[in-house]
Amino acid sequence: MYALADCNNFFASCERVFRPDLNGKPVVVLSNNDGCAIARSNEAKSLGIKMGDPFFKIRDIVERNHVAVFSSNFALYGDMSRRVQEVLRGFAPAVEQYSIDEAFLNLCGMEGVDFDAYAKEISRTCRRMTAIPVSVGIAPTKTLAKIASKLCKKYPKLEGGCYMHHQQDIEKVLRSFPVEDVWGIGRRSARKLQAMRIKTAWDYSCLPEATVRKIFMLPGFRTWRELKGIPSIEFEDIIEPKQSICVSRSFAQEIDTLPELAQQVANFAESAVSKLRKQGSLALELAVFAMTNRFKENAPQTTGCFYQTLPEATADHRALIMAAIEACRKLYRPGFGYKKAGVIITSMIQADGHTPSLFADSDALERDARLSEAIDSIHASYGRSSLLFGAQGDGLIRMARNHQSPHYTTLWEDLPRVKVN
Amino acid sequence: MQPQQLSQSDSLEFSFMGEVKAGFPSPAEDIREKLDLVKLLVRHSASTFFFRVDGVSMVDADMDEGDIIIVDRAVEPYNDCTAVCFIDGEYTVKKVVINDSGAVLMPCNEHNSKFKPIPVGPGNDFLIWGVVTWIIKKA
Repeated sequence: MYALADCNNFFASCERVFRPDLNGKPVVVLSNNDGCAIARSNEAKSLGIKMGDPFFKIRDIVERNHVAVFSSNFALYGDMSRRVQEVLRGFAPAVEQYSIDEAFLNLCGMEGVDFDAYAKEISRTCRRMTAIPVSVGIAPTKTLAKIASKLCKKYPKLEGGCYMHHQQDIEKVLRSFPVEDVWGIGRRSARKLQAMRIKTAWDYSCLPEATVRKIFMLPGFRTWRELKGIPSIEFEDIIEPKQSICVSRSFAQEIDTLPELAQQVANFAESAVSKLRKQGSLALELAVFAMTNRFKENAPQTTGCFYQTLPEATADHRALIMAAIEACRKLYRPGFGYKKAGVIITSMIQADGHTPSLFADSDALERDARLSEAIDSIHASYGRSSLLFGAQGDGLIRMARNHQSPHYTTLWEDLPRVKVN
Repeated sequence: MQPQQLSQSDSLEFSFMGEVKAGFPSPAEDIREKLDLVKLLVRHSASTFFFRVDGVSMVDADMDEGDIIIVDRAVEPYNDCTAVCFIDGEYTVKKVVINDSGAVLMPCNEHNSKFKPIPVGPGNDFLIWGVVTWIIKKA
């Protein structure tokens, strides 16, 4: 048996933790740079605000309905996510953190437990400990558990927990569940399914095995089996290192000079290197991309991307920042206002067991490694802004964050204040 | 800005034994006993939150302006507990006295009569956010 615990409107719910006055009121959280809506409370959803709506398009609705608007505050969301995960770990022998606001629980070996009551208890405990509302679905497979958790959101009388296991119940639910909302059915498959007149999850699960295998290949076949109640998607409680790392942002104002753009790119590169080092990998190749503002109709448009192969697999801060700046120089074109840029480490290997090439200067490598380690430890103790590379300038990303809430749980100077009078 | 997690590695630890550089091996060498302040103050790291005190209605309960209070949502509210409450749109810290008709929020400041008990009834928008477990103050 598997459970999926999904935090309801997670970022919006985090904003409410220390602002109980916002309970029952519409809340919207904006993407980096205050670009578009990335989380909405139920009240904001009923006002017609859609996921991904650009802020300027919803400004009217926001003002008319006194919607509380927040810039994203990932320090807060990350800490609240850690708390929810901690509570969940008390309920199952193995937990797979699937995303910042979702986790699978492996309940194998817990047969005999009243799973319906258990689902509700998990939800209630998360709420009590962290103030975050969580929907918990329990079912024989991960895919069905995900569907069960969605039912909790639709039907408040389930009290946040739903156990779905009787064959006839599953059939009833799948018959009215849109196939494109099933976990693992991509947008491309959804289009194919539409052409085949497959509308619901039930229709999909009734397709013959050969058809599924032929048209939707192995992932589609796994989903098909999971809908039939046969566990087919592995439980992954060990985090695999990422295969690529991307750091990108939109800027508050367009950037048109090379030094300014290079400075931003250096900051993205530093951030990417820090992620790379945390997972113990070495970069083989990186890419830098930059693009103009496509919403600005009369402005000249360009997008550029430049790949830079590294002479030696490396996780050295300086080598990678230099490579990123080099790539930035090559793609920069004067006369354009760049709105967004980013650095992607496109190819990497594990540092463990890597042998440097025969021609590498091993003394220099050793020295560089010690320097990078010293930088890591200073960053770990005093924060990444405590020590910057010259190329990073002031180390600030030119982002708009006009509505950010305090870092309530992660900075002493931002602790919530409680009036005692 | 990095989130400061309340993990053991970040926690403040006081070693009660110094290190010995050379000479006679220390008989205390294998003793790894340490005082961990976070372990003492944070029983449940998922449900423990810090607030800062702003105001003087609780001075008799040892809560002064600027103090940091530790709040644990895992602690079930009990009669006469000190708790961070939310009433009609505002946070406050008070002693919560539970009675038949609801609850009364009691201030703790004998010398200032402007702080009055606040009765809580069905007409109030009220919730107990969490129970105060520790007060941190600068000496």
